[in-house]
Amino acid sequence: MPSTIEILQSLVNGVGVGLIYGLVGIGFCVIYNASGIVNFAQGVFVMLGGMFCQVLMSQLGLPIILAIAITVPLVALAGMAMELAIVRPMLHRGATLFAIILATLAAQIMIERITLLGFGDRPRTFPDFTPGGPLRVGEVAVGYQLFWILGCGALLVVALWLFFNRTRTGRALRACSQNREAAQLLGIPVARMMLVAFALSAGLGAIAGVLVTPTQYTAYNVGTPFGVSGFIAAIIGGFGRAGGALAGGLLLGVLQALAIVALGAGFKNVAALSVLLVVLMLFPNGLFAGFSLGARVHSK
Amino acid sequence: MALLSVDNVTKRFGGLVANQSISFDVGDNELLAVIGPNGAGKTTLFNLISGFFPPTSGTVRFDGRDITGQPSHKVAAAGLVRTYQLVQLFSQLTVAENVEIGSHRVTRGGVGGALFRPDWFRREERSVREGARELLHFVGLEGQADLPADKLPYGRQRLLEVARALAAKPRLLLLDEPAAGLNTQETEALADVITRIHRGGTTIILIEHDMSLVMKIAQRIVVLDFGKKIAEGTPAEIRAHPDVIAAYLGGTEVVDA
Amino acid sequence: MTSRVTTFTEPAALRWQSVSPAAGAAMLAVLGLLSSDYVTTVLGFAFIYAIFCTGLNFFMGYTGQASFGQSAFAAIGGYGSAILCTDLGWDPVLALFATMALSGVAAVIVGYPTLRLRGHYLAMATFALGLIVYEITIEWTSLTQGYMGYAGIPPLGIVGFELPTVKHQLVALVVLALFGVAVANRLRRSRFGRALAAIAGSEPAALALGIDVARYKLIAFVIAAIYASAAGSLFAHFVGFISPEVFGVTMVVQSFTMLYLGGIGTVWGPMIGAVIVSVLPEALRGLKEMQDIAYSAILILVLIFVPRGLAGLSSLFARFRRNTEPL
Ligand SMILES: Nc1ncnc2c1ncn2[C@@H]1O[C@H](COP(=O)(O)OP(=O)(O)OP(=O)(O)O)[C@@H](O)[C@H]1O
Ligand SMILES: [Mg+2]
Repeated sequence: MPSTIEILQSLVNGVGVGLIYGLVGIGFCVIYNASGIVNFAQGVFVMLGGMFCQVLMSQLGLPIILAIAITVPLVALAGMAMELAIVRPMLHRGATLFAIILATLAAQIMIERITLLGFGDRPRTFPDFTPGGPLRVGEVAVGYQLFWILGCGALLVVALWLFFNRTRTGRALRACSQNREAAQLLGIPVARMMLVAFALSAGLGAIAGVLVTPTQYTAYNVGTPFGVSGFIAAIIGGFGRAGGALAGGLLLGVLQALAIVALGAGFKNVAALSVLLVVLMLFPNGLFAGFSLGARVHSK
Repeated sequence: MALLSVDNVTKRFGGLVANQSISFDVGDNELLAVIGPNGAGKTTLFNLISGFFPPTSGTVRFDGRDITGQPSHKVAAAGLVRTYQLVQLFSQLTVAENVEIGSHRVTRGGVGGALFRPDWFRREERSVREGARELLHFVGLEGQADLPADKLPYGRQRLLEVARALAAKPRLLLLDEPAAGLNTQETEALADVITRIHRGGTTIILIEHDMSLVMKIAQRIVVLDFGKKIAEGTPAEIRAHPDVIAAYLGGTEVVDA
Repeated sequence: MTSRVTTFTEPAALRWQSVSPAAGAAMLAVLGLLSSDYVTTVLGFAFIYAIFCTGLNFFMGYTGQASFGQSAFAAIGGYGSAILCTDLGWDPVLALFATMALSGVAAVIVGYPTLRLRGHYLAMATFALGLIVYEITIEWTSLTQGYMGYAGIPPLGIVGFELPTVKHQLVALVVLALFGVAVANRLRRSRFGRALAAIAGSEPAALALGIDVARYKLIAFVIAAIYASAAGSLFAHFVGFISPEVFGVTMVVQSFTMLYLGGIGTVWGPMIGAVIVSVLPEALRGLKEMQDIAYSAILILVLIFVPRGLAGLSSLFARFRRNTEPL
């Protein structure tokens, strides 16, 4: 029987990683809203974020701030490349939904393997943003990085809100998500908005990756678990809603942390995936109506 | 006894009442038309009858059995076959294959038959193919049997949809605006096909906006407006009905005034 | 609509088309027999994948659904056969059938709730199923020996008679793959196959014609699972060793590459794709390390530029021939 301390400790850890899932989930939503596509390669951005940052720090000796400042735009560029090279031509040719999903999955594997070739399969990590810690509250240890995650998470949510409500581009993106044809008629450059969505989504993933790496590690293959967890977060939160995805991520993170206490670390992914299946089956059309996920992406 | 009886059926979508306490009967081998302005609730009524979704309240009886809320494939299997307002063909398959699929309801073969191909299975397959050819002839598509369905001109796609539904040998056929988007000749060809189906003994309910078509072929007409049945009767009665005239002239205010 | 459904009743004049791929497969087998054991092994993998993809094609090609987790059933077949034959001393053929039955039952149980999903949800749910089984094969070490993998699996045999060399086994695999294709072909050209095609074409229309869409989807899923399971078992016997990686995400992507390259929804496409995708990297030896990158790149290019696959190209060719015949 796990002790209260263990449970509290796992809850604290769960909140941290859950926020990360939430950020990845928001990344899913941003792309889905703009294009009607679920990008199965979403997790790869998290991996790239941690990986680039670590390499920049360890091999070029850059300070963390600089490393992050280079990493995030770099990963955003990777997102844009994915949109331009894969998604756009497929949409243009009226590809089926499953074909596009498959292509994004293939892109994920391709990026993973290239990373493997380039950087090897050694897990990598870098220290917390601020040295010291953990903070002790009674017997529960709270790492300083958790505060960074919470703080940056909150900042990002505010920034996203401002972006979607206060900027022209953000508002145009929202218009696309409500009705792409109408947005097109209003003169919104829908194609460019998709590029923005992929960049934004990839950037979010990269930030998530940078934030989470000090608490665990990054390796070429961490993308899939983060991607799947982010997707689960998005689904729990009612696909398409940023706030919901964040809440869903927190819930999932906590559930997963408890599962680790109860079942052991080995089965944490099985637990998360089972949550996914249960949520999908109880809410086969999503938790909120209005998002027809079964629809074809593009009809000629 | 009525083949189909719709009894006090209501369907709500949130606050919107798409069908409100609608009742009517359809007798054996009747040709009934359902008319009404756009958004009156005609397609909703078809969806309720064919089991596409269940009514909020009320019952639908087909051939003496309560079919309310049964899934649509069961309703169809019982002999109540519908077409859709928007053409729903198997667009990548050929015209003949579309009709062959229609015979699903009246054939038996499963995985076992397909694997071992016993005599009865071969006979069945042959009759499916021949039946499809006859039906294509019946609607005048025999020349296009091997064309992919989506290569047919629109008017002929509607005919194909009717032929496919006929392959299921329906006892009651529901046609949702089969003449929508057709030109005059095409509409005439379609009217001819519907009349011949009816004469062949099939009961039909037809939703249609084309008044001249309805008045020409329907035996009885049900009129919906804002989800309510406002009139029922023979074409002559309907033509003279004040509420119907008001509904079609735009707005019930005329009646209220 | 989609490009994955193709017409299922070939005109009699085109029957020869279905003879030539079979002859091609036989020729490949002979080639395999005359070459080094290495070539034989590569071809063996190709035909195992052909079986897997032929099954997947039922669900994705004929029925127009998607399963990103078919590897789960291959894992059931592979590990099932490994355990039954190695630890319990079962006859491989018996184990093959037993695991196929087990996979079928598992497919019914997971398929029943899962197949109500559509679109992205279906894709993600099936993907999750595959990942769950993958995680289990890693974590349940007492059963699967985890990352270490399961070694010492006996080669395939027919009631007591072992097939001693890879060459014998290749013959068996080719025969089985052709049998699998023949079964697929029979099922497709029937009332059952038409019902699947109807679902791929338009679910509302299928329902309105009395087709029990949920039931047929489930049957197609179960058939796909049974093929996948057989492929997994055959892999285990052919190589003698399995590990979780064999049935990982790579398997999914590889099989999709084969399916889309060969021509999804066609009878011979899966086998053609399986052979090409298996043999191609061997032809480009230097790519060894980059195999997965090459697979992914090929898949993406195929998805963008030839979504109907090579079989789609061959039908263009056929039409061309027919048109020129009267001359
Ligand atoms: N699934 C649904 N969900 C919500 N509202 C619906 C749904 N189906 C129909 N409605 C609404 O119910 C009303 C009746 O629609 P219905 O399609 O039955 O009309 P109709 O008489 O067939 O019109 P038309 O002649 O244009 O085909 C409309 O206001 C429509 O918006
Ligand atoms: Mg209508």
